[in-house]
Amino acid sequence: MNRTIPDCHGYNATERKFPLCSCFIIPRDVLERFATDRKLTDAQRESFASTAQLEKSWRRVREAHAKLSLTALAVLPTAVAATAPPAITVFDCQHSSTLPGAPVANPGSSADGTIKRAFNGASDVADFYMKLFGRNSVDNAGKTLISSVHYSINYNNAFWNGSQMTYGDGDGNIFIDFTKSPDVIGHELTHGVTQYSAGLNYTNEPGGLNESMSDVFGSMFRQWKANQDASKADWLIGSEIMGPGATARGFTCLRDMSNPAAKHCLAPQPTKYSQYKPGMDPHYSSGIPNFAFYKAATAIGGKTWDKVGKIWYTALTGFPPKPNMAMSFFADRTRTLAKSMFSSEPSVAGAVDKAWTAVGL
Amino acid sequence: MAIYEIEKLGGIAGFGGAHLRSRGKVDSAALSADENKAIEALFSGATKRSLSSGSDAFMFRISRSSSSGNETVQVPEHLVPAALTRAVQDELI
Repeated sequence: MNRTIPDCHGYNATERKFPLCSCFIIPRDVLERFATDRKLTDAQRESFASTAQLEKSWRRVREAHAKLSLTALAVLPTAVAATAPPAITVFDCQHSSTLPGAPVANPGSSADGTIKRAFNGASDVADFYMKLFGRNSVDNAGKTLISSVHYSINYNNAFWNGSQMTYGDGDGNIFIDFTKSPDVIGHELTHGVTQYSAGLNYTNEPGGLNESMSDVFGSMFRQWKANQDASKADWLIGSEIMGPGATARGFTCLRDMSNPAAKHCLAPQPTKYSQYKPGMDPHYSSGIPNFAFYKAATAIGGKTWDKVGKIWYTALTGFPPKPNMAMSFFADRTRTLAKSMFSSEPSVAGAVDKAWTAVGL
Repeated sequence: MAIYEIEKLGGIAGFGGAHLRSRGKVDSAALSADENKAIEALFSGATKRSLSSGSDAFMFRISRSSSSGNETVQVPEHLVPAALTRAVQDELI
């Protein structure tokens, strides 16, 4: 028997209408039921009634905040972009599994290389999004970028939990310190960008797109740091976090956007939409749109962020949230944008179309 | 009494795929009463009102056999008792 645990709204991952949320642990209807429960004392009923009222007020505040953010983005884009750049903070978990950990003073000048890399990496990703796309932090409103490092013991992962990044040190065999790959830092922060823009779900086709956005902009960030043309880039994800045990087996990266099914990938991926299966881990299905991006970028040539990156960024962030977006929908959106954004260069739209067609979309 | 079979899935590297595996077993007799209670809550769905762990977070598939048959739940890492998350061993295959 397999059961899926739904989230706090009662939605499972494919039904969820919100990318993430912050909720009261006791639902409002339960609070209201307790508030009129004659088995409870007057003081208890009053307490539940107050809490229910507080929940209503918080909901109104959240809704108003969301509405205001969308209005400000639509009416005053330059004002939003002109706000101060995001604060960058780093916390040290000191090998515990409690987030965020202990705050680190002056992380940019820390003697701990992991802390320094987490700080510099987040700062550089913030610069990348601001300078290339005019985006102020993951939410385009200056949200503080929080990183926690030295998470747990021998922890083979890095993740975005909806409000911050977390990095493990690796086990020293399969993986080493997850802050060592700039594309991993770009990958994690791009999950924040996706959360605050298209709001893609994390299962099935939108899940694969979600992961692909993180690989695309993570790789683009690495290329931007190295000032590389698409033709010079290695298109590898996670090449700097591979441990000695993995490299001894011939694995040089997690994923290779230029050759997703390659033997040197620790996580080889499908390259054609015909290989996609519902329920597939998004870290695998992302190979399909990853390969399309690589093909479009190398066909167009030059720096990825100049043309194809702008098309992908607009497709991700320039429309209302669409959590259940199918891969074909995203492909068609980029085709349309390529035509409108580079109308004087039909070769750009041609390259985008050909890239998607090559992967079966 | 039950034997819990645990598999860690996902993460940025995609555990559970072609070359990465993380599995383990725990005997319920070796767990504390609180840990067994927390695991029972996962199987009964009593902990369903929880946030997901987010993008690239691990998921844990926990299976057990009992008189009512085989049961499997798949839950985010932050809901899994440490005794179970510690029991898995990451390996290259």
